[in-house]
Amino acid sequence: MKRVGIVGVGTTQFRSRWTEKTYFELAFDAVKMALEDAGAAKEQIDCVVYGIYNDFFERQFQPDLFVHDYLGMAPKPGIRVSTGGATGGSALSAGFAQVASGLYDVCLVVGVEKSADCLDYESGKSSPEVLKAISYTADMTYEQPTGRTAAGSFALTTIAHLEKYGNPTELQMAKVSVKNHTNALLNPVSQSPIALTVDDVMKSPMIAYPFKRYDNCLYSEGSAVLILASEDAAKRFRKQPVWIQGIGAALDWAIIGNRKDLYSFESSRIAAKKAYTMAGIQHPLEEIDLAELHDAFTGTELIAYEDCFFCEEGQGGRLIDDGIVEASGKLPVNVSGGLIGCGHAVGATGIMQTNEIVLHLRGEAGKRQVAGARTGLVQSIGGPGAAWTVCLVLERE
Amino acid sequence: MDKQTFLTWAGRNARRIGVKKDLVVQAFEKAMTSQAGPDAPFEVPDTMHINMRYSYGGQSRFFREIFENKRLMGTRCSACSKVFCPPRTNCPHCYGRTEWVELRGTGKILSYTTVYFATSSYIKQVPYIVAYIKLDGADTAILSNVEMKDIGKARVGMEVKVVFRNQRDGRITDIYFRENG
Repeated sequence: MKRVGIVGVGTTQFRSRWTEKTYFELAFDAVKMALEDAGAAKEQIDCVVYGIYNDFFERQFQPDLFVHDYLGMAPKPGIRVSTGGATGGSALSAGFAQVASGLYDVCLVVGVEKSADCLDYESGKSSPEVLKAISYTADMTYEQPTGRTAAGSFALTTIAHLEKYGNPTELQMAKVSVKNHTNALLNPVSQSPIALTVDDVMKSPMIAYPFKRYDNCLYSEGSAVLILASEDAAKRFRKQPVWIQGIGAALDWAIIGNRKDLYSFESSRIAAKKAYTMAGIQHPLEEIDLAELHDAFTGTELIAYEDCFFCEEGQGGRLIDDGIVEASGKLPVNVSGGLIGCGHAVGATGIMQTNEIVLHLRGEAGKRQVAGARTGLVQSIGGPGAAWTVCLVLERE
Repeated sequence: MDKQTFLTWAGRNARRIGVKKDLVVQAFEKAMTSQAGPDAPFEVPDTMHINMRYSYGGQSRFFREIFENKRLMGTRCSACSKVFCPPRTNCPHCYGRTEWVELRGTGKILSYTTVYFATSSYIKQVPYIVAYIKLDGADTAILSNVEMKDIGKARVGMEVKVVFRNQRDGRITDIYFRENG
């Protein structure tokens, strides 16, 4: 298997809505940024992988066709990946395989998503109709008709964790929300940079018990793109590559009632373990300098600390209580602001998270730079109750 | 666009997408009647809508028994004896064939949530409880709604029993659960 490096990154602003750009125009902007970052020309790209989640969001089934066309990538090979919230991570995983296998030297990975063109005319708001579009990716035979939302699927698992271990408490979840919204203040592409207090979070309206409004990520629109190259091909580009040293993926029972327990995410534990084994990581808390974890909901981030083996099962809440995961802590988590502060432009999210780590490993993260960062972790999860997880360990030379 | 042209446009689009005209007017009036420049974003009402008929295939008996006989069924693997509800015609563990078994309809809440903010199809019904329920005699759990007077009283481990709605449509929501006892 060939070694694979990231040689160029580009992320557009994440916004609640981009009326001045279509999905293919957003993708174009991020591709142009990534090419400039790498000092690459379009002709140097051998193949493309598209991460686009929900066809309703784009108002277009098979939207990858029209991004490929708009980018002028014809007739290069292109494939599209769609794995819920993990779409970005999975697109990266597919791109990694294209290059690691030796089939192609240089692969462009394009994540893009709209969402807020969905409109509930009755309330005049996007969110209920966005949720409806998402609901069609739940099991349509037995589960979707119950009215369980995306937040609901993670709330169910968080309640099971709370029942077993007595945490995450609503206070611990509120602290994660404050941390991620605050981190977003220093990220120029973030959608929701707000100086919040724990009290603001605790008093925000309930969405799906125990998640309140500020425990939830946002629907975002935006694009994130990166360029993968084999070790030989990486020399053609101007930036020092960031290497993908470990990659792990799993797809658990999507009907959560088929799982042996509901309180942890088996897919996340397996994906992390595989990525660590491949990268030779034995003590994650000691060896990883920063992590971008999939904080679709605050409770999910707290459970992710356990599933990524930063601590024992049931101890996730302690890491926020002790400040370990703060930007200034021992293992900063979601310095970008995460999905809660930076935003969740679904197909782009896993790539946005990866690009954030790349900037830190290159020392280019500006005011939010984690000093001396050498090793970073990305966790991308999706589907009801983290059915999919993809984990990546990134390192600089 | 002048007001009359706008109203005609809104009416035509409202009919096309199946939304009341006044709602389309509300959503678009400001943007369409203001003096936006030629490069300002141009938004139009739209919808994506497909009518279907769906066959439950090998799962049909589950829905038919609820619909016609108020009976809750699961399936048992003829090889490894695991019992599934929701039912499966094939065992995902040993790939054995399954046979139909009737369940008593009592069980326990494995986990739950209360939904306060829902999709546009369910927003008028909030708050409501959604729970995974492990039925007595089954090895898997089914997602369903739990109806109770005091919605704050739902608990993990709570004993529940199935209720068949009086008006049934042949959908999974023909059943829901209530506290048992």
